Amino acid sequence: MVELEQESRQKISGSLGQKPVQTIKDIDTEDYIKAGTFACSGCQPVLGIKLALKALGKNTIMVNSSGCMTLTATYPFTPYKIPWVHNAIENADSTASGIFMGLKRKGLEKKVNILVYAGDGATYDIGFQALSGMFDRFENVIHVCYNNEIFANTGYQRSAATPLFARTTTTPIEKKSRGNLIPRKHMAKIMMAHDSPYVATACTSYPLDFMKKVQKASTIYGPKYIELLAPCIPGWILSTEQGRKSGELSVQSGLWPLYELENGKFSVSMQPKMIPVKEALKMQGRYAHLNDEEIDEIQEMVNKEWESYNKGEFWTVHEY
Amino acid sequence: MKKQNKKPAKKFKLSKKRELELKSRELIDGNSACAFAVKLCHVESIPAFPITPQTELMEKLALWISTGELDSYLNVMESEHSVLSAAVGSEMTGVRTFVSSGSQGLMLMHEILPIASGTRMPIVMICGSRALSAPIALWPDHNDFLSCRDFGWLMMAAEINQELLDFICIAYRVAESKNVLLPALIEMDGFILSETREPVEIPRQEIVDRFLPELKLETMLDVEKPMTLGTPVLEDYQNFKEQMQAAQNNALKEFEKAFKEWKILTGRKYDFVEKVWMENAEIAIVMMGANATIAKAAVRKMRSEGKKVGLVKLRILRPWPEKSIMQALKKCKKIAVVDQNISLGKNGIIYNEICETLKDEGKILSNYIAGLGGKHLSIQDFEQILADLEKSKKSEKKWLS
Repeated sequence: MVELEQESRQKISGSLGQKPVQTIKDIDTEDYIKAGTFACSGCQPVLGIKLALKALGKNTIMVNSSGCMTLTATYPFTPYKIPWVHNAIENADSTASGIFMGLKRKGLEKKVNILVYAGDGATYDIGFQALSGMFDRFENVIHVCYNNEIFANTGYQRSAATPLFARTTTTPIEKKSRGNLIPRKHMAKIMMAHDSPYVATACTSYPLDFMKKVQKASTIYGPKYIELLAPCIPGWILSTEQGRKSGELSVQSGLWPLYELENGKFSVSMQPKMIPVKEALKMQGRYAHLNDEEIDEIQEMVNKEWESYNKGEFWTVHEY
Repeated sequence: MKKQNKKPAKKFKLSKKRELELKSRELIDGNSACAFAVKLCHVESIPAFPITPQTELMEKLALWISTGELDSYLNVMESEHSVLSAAVGSEMTGVRTFVSSGSQGLMLMHEILPIASGTRMPIVMICGSRALSAPIALWPDHNDFLSCRDFGWLMMAAEINQELLDFICIAYRVAESKNVLLPALIEMDGFILSETREPVEIPRQEIVDRFLPELKLETMLDVEKPMTLGTPVLEDYQNFKEQMQAAQNNALKEFEKAFKEWKILTGRKYDFVEKVWMENAEIAIVMMGANATIAKAAVRKMRSEGKKVGLVKLRILRPWPEKSIMQALKKCKKIAVVDQNISLGKNGIIYNEICETLKDEGKILSNYIAGLGGKHLSIQDFEQILADLEKSKKSEKKWLS
C-alpha cells in the first residue's frame, strides 16, 4: 500500500495535451471563458480565470467558491466552455475532493485537471479548513487563490489577506482608526507547511509567469497551491485601466514577491527592481491616508522580507 | 382464545427459494444493515466523518474495502460540512454516493443540505439520530432528523434494521428516478437500531441489481460535455423551487412503484404508513421511529383486553403522504401523536403536520412529547397514553413524564 501511494505521488500527469507556454505565441487561442460577464470593467480576477484556463485547456473541471467570480455564470447565461461548478463559499476544496473521488473511480484522476478558483476570503478565512483537509488527503487538485486582499463581493471588507494599513469598509479611516492594523497572514507559507509538492505566487500583471506556474502545477500529482495577486478596481480604489499597473508596481516594489516552492525548494521567480513601496502605494486609493511613518514601516517590512529571500531563506521572522 | 383442538404439525418443507432466503438471514446491528445495503447498491463514493452513533458503519465499510469485499472509495474528510460538500462534488461526476451522519454532524452539514437538493444530486444519507446539544447527549430523538424537513430531501424513518437495509435500496431507486432527482435522508434511531442486533434478511445481489439500475445522470461534470452547475440566479429562484415541489410530488408515485417492485422481488411489503390494527380502531397512536415497536406491543396488549386501539407508523415524511395518512385514520375518532421531538415554543413537529392533514376531519388530536434524548419508553407508557386519550374530551398537549 505504501509503495502504491508513493508511486501515485511521483507520477506526473503530463500537460494533458496543452502546449507548454514559453512565449506569447504558445498561448492557446481558444477562450474557455467567453467575454460579456457581470464582472467590473478592468477586473483582474476574471483575467486570472482566462489565463488559468488557457494554460490548462479543455480537460479541466473548475470549482468556484462563492464570490465575485460566481456571478460570471449567472443563470441563464454561462461564459464557460469547460465544466464549472459552484457549491458554497467555504467548501470549494471539499467539493473538489468529491470530484476527485468521482474521477478516481472512473480512472480519470490524472487525465482531468481540477482547478479550484477561490478568493482570498474563501482561502485564508472561511475556506481554510476545507483547503487544509484537501492538502492533507493529498488529492490531485490545483488551488488558485485569486487574492484581491479583501472580501470584494460583499463590498470590500477586511479579510486575513488584507495588508497593513489598508482601508476597507470594516477598517475605515476616521478620527480613531488608521485602516487595517493586522498584517496579512502568509498563506503560501502555511500551505508549504502542508508538504505540498508545489506552492507558488503570481500576479495577473505577469501572465506568462502565471501560466507557466499553472502548467507546471498541472504536471505534478498532488495538491498544488498558487496564489495570484489580482487587483480589485473598486476595492483598491483604482481607475479602470490601473489594474495591470498597480499589480506590476506591487511586484516591482517587493510588496508582492513572486516565488516558487517545488518539493520544498525555494526559488525567487522574478527579482524585483525594488522601487520604493511609496510608488506602489500612492497609486491605490486605499492607501491615500498613509503618512510617512506608516510608509516607512511598510518599507521596512518589505526590506526585511527580501533580505531573507535574497539569502535563499523562505521564512522571515517578524518581530512585533 | 386459543383453539383447543390442535392440528398435528405438518412436516414442513421449505421451497428452495425460501431456503436460500433464510440462509441469507444474519443477526446484525443497524450500522451493519446499512453497510450491507451500501454494498448491494454498488455505492462508489463514500465521504465520511466519524460521529456517534454511525461510526461503526464507516468502520465496517472501511474494513470491507480493505479486505476487497467492497469496491468503493471511502474518503475520511476533515468535517461533516466537507463530507456533504464532497458528496455533492462526487455525485456531480456521476458516481453513486453515500453519506452517513447525525446529530451535531447533521447540524454542521445544514448549509449544504439545500445545496444538495437544489443542485438535484440524488445522494442517500443515513441520519443516525441523536439528541442535539446542549446539554450534549448520546441517545436518540428526532429533532436532528426533522430539522432537515424543509430542504427538499426525501425523508424516510426506519423502525427496524430490516427497514434500514430496504429503505436504502428503495431510496436510491426513487432518488435517482429521472422525474425526481432529489437526495434522500433515512432516519436510524441511534443505539436502539444502530447498535442493536436483529435478524435481517439480506437480498441476493442479482435481486438488488434488477431493482436498482445503474446511475445515469444527465446533468453532470464531464469534460466531453461541459456544463455549468450551481449557478446563481436572479428572479428565477422561485421557478427552481416549483420544480423541486413537482419532483417531490413525482416521488410519491415513484415510491409506490418501488414498493410494489420490492415486494415482488423480496416479498417484503411496504407502504407510506404502517397500519397496525387500524381496521376498526377508534383510538390510535401516530408516531415514527424505533419506539413504534414498543407502541405496537402496547397496542397488542390492549387489543387482547378488547379495546379498539391501533397504531399508524409513518415511514415516509417527505413527500408527505397526505392521502395514505387520511385514509389510515379515517375511522379513528381520537388520535395521539407521540412526538420524540419538540419544536420549542410550540409542540411536536409531527403533531403539526398531522393537524394540518386532518384539519377538516373534526377529530380529537392530542400531542404527547416523549422520549427526548432517548428517555426510555415502556409498554406501560404507551398504555397510559392510550388510556389517557380514551378519557379525553378535547385535544390536549402533554409531556410524558
